[in-house]
Amino acid sequence: MERFARAVAALSRASGVIGIALILVALVVICHMIFVRFVLGQSSIWQTEFVIFALIGSTFLGAPYVLLTRGHVNVDLVPLHVGDGARRVLALLAAAGGAVFALLVIWSSLDWWWEAWRFDFRTASMWRAPLWIPYASLPVGMALVLLQCIAEGWAVWTGRERPFGLPPRDGA
Amino acid sequence: MTPLVLGLVIAVVTLLVLATGIPIAFGLGLVAMGFLFWADGARAIHAFADTLFAGLNDFTLVSIPMFIIMGAAVAASRAGSDLYEAMHRWLSRVPGSMVIANLGACALFAALTGSSPATCAAIGKMGIPEMRRRGYSADLATGSIAAGGTLGILIPPSITFILYGIASETSIGRLFLAGILPGLMLTALFMAWALFLAWRRGEALEDRSARVSWAARLEVLPRVVPFVLVIAAVLYSLYGGVATPSEAAGVGALACIVLVMVVYRQWRPGQLWPIFRDGMRESGMIVLIIATSILYGYMLSSLYVTQSIAQGIAEASINRWVLMALINLLLVVAGCFMPPAAIILMTTPIIAPIIANAGFDPVWFGVILTINMELGLITPPVGLNLFVINGIVPDVKLPTILKGALPFMGCMVVAILILCVFPEIATWLPDALMGPVPR
Repeated sequence: MERFARAVAALSRASGVIGIALILVALVVICHMIFVRFVLGQSSIWQTEFVIFALIGSTFLGAPYVLLTRGHVNVDLVPLHVGDGARRVLALLAAAGGAVFALLVIWSSLDWWWEAWRFDFRTASMWRAPLWIPYASLPVGMALVLLQCIAEGWAVWTGRERPFGLPPRDGA
Repeated sequence: MTPLVLGLVIAVVTLLVLATGIPIAFGLGLVAMGFLFWADGARAIHAFADTLFAGLNDFTLVSIPMFIIMGAAVAASRAGSDLYEAMHRWLSRVPGSMVIANLGACALFAALTGSSPATCAAIGKMGIPEMRRRGYSADLATGSIAAGGTLGILIPPSITFILYGIASETSIGRLFLAGILPGLMLTALFMAWALFLAWRRGEALEDRSARVSWAARLEVLPRVVPFVLVIAAVLYSLYGGVATPSEAAGVGALACIVLVMVVYRQWRPGQLWPIFRDGMRESGMIVLIIATSILYGYMLSSLYVTQSIAQGIAEASINRWVLMALINLLLVVAGCFMPPAAIILMTTPIIAPIIANAGFDPVWFGVILTINMELGLITPPVGLNLFVINGIVPDVKLPTILKGALPFMGCMVVAILILCVFPEIATWLPDALMGPVPR
């Protein structure tokens, strides 16, 4: 299990690097699009769609990394004001909730992705981009989120990690 | 179950789920999918992925990571301390220059980064120790920076306005323009209060010892003026139809990165990577909340909750200003517990039709909403800015910072009241530059 948790963390980091790279590419493509349109006076064909898909890909593929680094904001009012035992229960509930969320999205997106792939769905623009590529970011990203939630729940359960990464309460 | 009762049940369930400390994006998605599943059974599942994807399939959203990267680039450099230095040197002869320079630097830096905590950290690190050294009391020094940091979401470019614009289908260009005068007004209110308090307590208003030479004043300009020009260019390109928000933000982000590389010589990959890493973390967090809040809004309207609330309020014929006061109260309370992005995305789909029905201008309301969100950033228990300041100056305790910030919250309430009496402060500039809203 220890190895599993480390492998999941490594995968989440790798996925995060892809997410970061997609943002970087999106920035370059936007600037390229503006150059093509305003300086060369030509119309842009693929850039708008590409940038949107890059952002969607970055969001879903980056999600496990953001989860790993505690970047997804939460309402920590209750966890901050309860004792260590209750805090642990809340952290397990939160991890379970995250896992169920990820599972539902995976369940919903597999069918949807498969159809797009099998029937070769494409965007309505001149570029006619195949939709299965951006669609794939949902099941892949959420599968990693699911694994990350399991690893986190396990770490809190076995006491390897403090719930929500919070320091112990004073006097508790 | 009537839709209104169902709405109440959904609200309670949402609060309970979020209270576990689950990431807001996951929690909203979970509640939305749960209720859709409950209403429609297994066939509801097919819609989840497509709704999430379709909600994000919007070029306007691209402006969010771009503005975030623009801010992250500025925040990763020494631009904050240079901005502070510039304000300080140029205003050294003005009475109360310390306070004015601090709040002015906050307003400018906030405009550049659009981030409240980044502003508090950057300006506070320089400003708070300097103010205390000059004899200003700890509560005034910390409170003014905590409040000054909140200006970032009101002075354009602002992610808060982009989110509200997307959720309420209001022009983002208009919202940006509408934020400028109220932003300046709020800055002036903050300055007035800080000066008044310092004067009443007899704290150092003037500092004649610090004579700043013209050479020193001019020396700092080349490092500050380019950033200000970028902001001006971004805002200029948004109007006159030169560029969409996403295009303007993309070029602004590139310009800021180039400036950081040239002005601060931060061109090694190890120095640039964190800009993109932090940019992805923040935009990934916000965009995922957008996706799941769209699913949440879809759930509310397919269960007729949104429509029933709007209809119920229309039939109750509440006085529109009482309604406005109630909405403000709700937003302030929500702001005490949740970050602005989540509140705006969750509540706007419900509130926007109510506001429009009651005859309020959606652009004007965007400004009111944003000032409410600013309040939330400095109110306990989760006022982010208070904790950032506490991190910079650990010897000043939280209650002292809060005591210092309290009167500035009063300034925000005054600003909301002034805007209610004179809505033109928000609507005049966009109407004058972009023409009146076509109705």
